[in-house]
Amino acid sequence: MADKPTLPRRHPTGIPGLDLILEGGLLASGVYIVQGPPGAGKTILANQACFHHAANGGRALYVTLLAESHSRMFGHLRRMAFFDERAIPDRVYYIGGYSALESEGLDALVRVIRGAVQKQKATLLVVDGLVSAQESSPTSREFKKFLHEVQTLGDMTGCTVLLLTNAERSSGFFPEHTMVDGVLHLTDELSELRPLRHIRILKLRGSAPVRGLHSVRISDRGLEVRPRIETIVGKGPLAEGRVAAGPKLGFGLPELDRMLRGGVRSGSITMLLGSSGSGKTLLGMQFLSEGLKHHQRGVYFGFFEHPDAVLAKCQRIGIGGLKEGVERGDLLIVWHRPVEGVIDELGESLLNAVIANRADRLFIDGMEGFERAADFPERISHVYSAIAQELERIGVTTLYTTETRELFGREIEVPMTGLSAATQNIMLLRHVEHHAAMRRVMAILKVRDDDYDARMRELQITDDGLRLVDTFTSESSIVSGGGVSNDARAKTTEP
Amino acid sequence: MTTQRSILIVDDEFGLAEMLREVLREHQYDVTLAINGRLALEILAERKIDLVITDLMMPVMDGAELANAMRNSDGHRKIPIVMMTSLPTAIPRSSGLYDDVLRKPFTPEHFLETVHACLTTAEHRTQGD
Repeated sequence: MADKPTLPRRHPTGIPGLDLILEGGLLASGVYIVQGPPGAGKTILANQACFHHAANGGRALYVTLLAESHSRMFGHLRRMAFFDERAIPDRVYYIGGYSALESEGLDALVRVIRGAVQKQKATLLVVDGLVSAQESSPTSREFKKFLHEVQTLGDMTGCTVLLLTNAERSSGFFPEHTMVDGVLHLTDELSELRPLRHIRILKLRGSAPVRGLHSVRISDRGLEVRPRIETIVGKGPLAEGRVAAGPKLGFGLPELDRMLRGGVRSGSITMLLGSSGSGKTLLGMQFLSEGLKHHQRGVYFGFFEHPDAVLAKCQRIGIGGLKEGVERGDLLIVWHRPVEGVIDELGESLLNAVIANRADRLFIDGMEGFERAADFPERISHVYSAIAQELERIGVTTLYTTETRELFGREIEVPMTGLSAATQNIMLLRHVEHHAAMRRVMAILKVRDDDYDARMRELQITDDGLRLVDTFTSESSIVSGGGVSNDARAKTTEP
Repeated sequence: MTTQRSILIVDDEFGLAEMLREVLREHQYDVTLAINGRLALEILAERKIDLVITDLMMPVMDGAELANAMRNSDGHRKIPIVMMTSLPTAIPRSSGLYDDVLRKPFTPEHFLETVHACLTTAEHRTQGD
């Protein structure tokens, strides 16, 4: 029997998300360039990797070349959770290499690095400020020779090497890229006044990285990478068959449950489409409330109206059991400010909440919150599609709201391709004028592979909760905003 | 007549060492720089030094190794040593390897006070011998 090929040894960086993109981490004795403009997070990335490496039994050496002084660097790093002063100097060691470089050139720098790697028994080496070495090279050949010597050092000692450099150089050709095992490119840009950081793997030998841009956040926890959510979720087999055969989950509103022939299918995704103030949020909360009565755990995931206000309103109108559900831990409330975070972070937060709370029912109040956090609008469709597939795979029954722009228009636009394609059921809520009064109307537009009652009902919000009333038995065109009685219509269409 | 005091600064971060040299020169000290402990020992073998101010982490030979070598040398044992470090816990003061510590970052005033205090203490010690 042939031996299985042994996988190359890797050192995880310990940076959430980055190791996923790197297929597990950095190769032992691999040489990597981490490039990006000032402030993009290169130094934090490298230090975080050093401390993680040290915490797992490795030894790291950090060499600075005309970068910020060590004391300044420590001043910034001290607020980071990963910074462990006790690891310095025994397991993480910092030296300056610029003096040697300036006085004696690249050969002296190599000697200093080689000596320090051997003395410290370093298994991870960071050279911060590679551009200084390049600028000190009389020819590109000399610089390549320096890189080759660093590479040889890595090979001989098993030490992994990170070379940090500013990518903003006039030359479009980077000879150093051809000589290393990987190139990690960090960016820091503004998108409509919102700072956005990304990481992109330009090259990764011996691995199949998750390509493209991935969002980066820097906080007191250090650097966190959020792989593009559509590249990591929604890849499992679809559960269409399971959804079609699943039990039905009701809303606890007898008239609506009758219209749905018992409720929505377990594991299905339902869109509540409607204008502002049409009752979407309350209907969603009713769905969660009914679940709690049947010991089904729930998650509320919202962006706009603060959940405290939503819960208070629900309590006032008799949608019960929600606060008690929260107190028992059966209902998890997750709320993000609508301008907060990036779409991948929100997607991760949503899926984590559903999984952590073992939710049976999920209510997403305002899918537009995801759109506002999108770094690139063209991604939204892919993100929605991936999230929908993942929710379906998890098996949670999902309701989400999305807003129609026109309050009374005749056209009904179902937004959000990608998610709407994965949506089994669509319900419409809107305001209509009826007998000189504004009323809320609800209709089911679609239930995939199931019978349903398509007639419109008035949605009343009373002190005793939500009620669906058969107000419009003699009207047509209600849903599209008209509200014309059948008698009147018959008269106007007669020849 | 007072003799000019001679100070050796040992640091691999050239910027800080050069700045400290300027501060000391303004106060009429004679200053020599070394970028690691081994070069510092070579300088100590060649000339008279009254005070060594050394960084802790350096390539080739670090501050602790330099201090240890000096304490084990008959010629250098009594030279006062100030350790510069960003890490207060790195070497306990009880080790006896250094006379004072400068925690980075520090002000020029604090730096000069420390230098002056170390030199004065060493002078008193010498007079008492």
